[in-house]
Amino acid sequence: MKIKKFILPLLSAGALVAAMTAFAPAVFADGYERGERGDSEERGESEGRNGRNGGRIIPPADNAAYKQECSSCHFLYQPGLLPARSWEAVMGATGKHFGEDLALDEATVKELLAYLTANGADKQTNRRSTRIAASIDSSSAPTRITEVPYMVKEHRKIKKETFSRPSIKTFSNCGACHTKGAEGNFEEDFVKIPKN
Amino acid sequence: MKKGIRSFIAASVFAAASASMAVSAAEPNEQVRSLVDSYKKSSGAQSFSAEEGRKFFNSKRTHSVKKEERSCTTCHTTDPRQPGKTIVGKVIEPLAPSVNKERFTDPEKIEKWFKRNCTWVLERECTPREKGDYITYMMSL
Ligand code: HEC
Ligand code: HEC
Ligand code: HEC
Repeated sequence: MKIKKFILPLLSAGALVAAMTAFAPAVFADGYERGERGDSEERGESEGRNGRNGGRIIPPADNAAYKQECSSCHFLYQPGLLPARSWEAVMGATGKHFGEDLALDEATVKELLAYLTANGADKQTNRRSTRIAASIDSSSAPTRITEVPYMVKEHRKIKKETFSRPSIKTFSNCGACHTKGAEGNFEEDFVKIPKN
Repeated sequence: MKKGIRSFIAASVFAAASASMAVSAAEPNEQVRSLVDSYKKSSGAQSFSAEEGRKFFNSKRTHSVKKEERSCTTCHTTDPRQPGKTIVGKVIEPLAPSVNKERFTDPEKIEKWFKRNCTWVLERECTPREKGDYITYMMSL
């Protein structure tokens, strides 16, 4: 059942990838070059919050209100993990946030929405965010990062039972396995799946 | 020399005693006291009960839609002096002000979390009496 749902987005992602091949080498070469110089340290100031680096790091969340309001219950998801239209959907339903009433006032919702949409995956140039954005059908606006086709694909080898280990609990708990996830670094070298 | 040791011992005993005072029951600040007073006014209660707060904290309820058992202890554990964990796996620092002095210092934060968590557990907001008893319990630990 799930598989059917993915075929369409995958096909369109495929088309996009094909269309991108023309300029892809430039982007990737840049990413590797920076990677060798240690892009995680250099990225921040010089590249700006939109991460115009073609690198592999998703710019970490750097908005005080966002940290304050959106990290008590879970991992502080980087804005670059969902496209702007998804953030609009998330912030349009803060009274019914995955079964929680976030009890946010209007001004706060407005501020967070502006921050999230300005830095969404479709506004980024790092490789992770562009792949996330490219994997989502333009007619859909998933509110779950864990349902984004690219995310599902990257985690397809992980069993359900692994996610439900006590120290992990759910796929949504990115920081449990990605030891540098808070820095927007989801690279393989820094993945450590807890044993229990 | 002996005298030196004696006053050293006295000083350490004093230090230990004040340290242990610091980790027993906490006093609310001005703002939180007036928050609790406002709960008294709107509930008509003369005073609040730590024991009632303890019972409220530990009581369980089945959610009408999710059909699962929920309680304040689901995330905060049965010992508010211990860290807890949210359902999305994030660690929650202890609630008891005796071990976490940031707790119950900011009325706006307190009210926001009452609204969120009472709705999640009870599918309604908490009453002023429940909130007053709850804070009194946390302060007593
Ligand atoms: C009161 C607790 C709470 C707060 C505060 C909170 N969330 Fe959530 N959030 C949740 C829960 C519960 C889930 C669902 C997790 C699950 O089902 O595994 C969730 C899930 C999410 C997801 C989807 C994660 C996934 O599974 O891919 C996003 C995105 C999200 N929240 C964004 C936000 C934003 C933005 C804010 C701040 C405006 C916020 N959250 C604040 C409780 C909270
Ligand atoms: C149970 C542990 C676990 C959890 C929880 C988890 N991941 Fe992963 N993640 C992995 C593993 C394992 C890989 C694959 C690493 C590899 O072999 O490249 C991976 C890969 C990735 C990749 C691709 C990295 C690459 O090198 O290609 C991204 C991006 C990513 N995860 C983001 C997330 C985000 C965002 C979340 C939370 C919504 C999350 N992950 C939750 C374990 C986890
Ligand atoms: C679904 C998880 C969850 C449940 C269940 C839960 N809480 Fe909480 N609670 C939290 C989180 C997360 C925080 C914020 C932690 C932080 O600020 O570090 C919190 C904080 C609070 C605070 C704020 C304390 C302060 O001053 O910092 C109060 C008050 C509170 N909870 C009351 C309750 C009550 C009453 C119940 C039961 C009706 C309850 N909680 C059940 C997750 C939960």
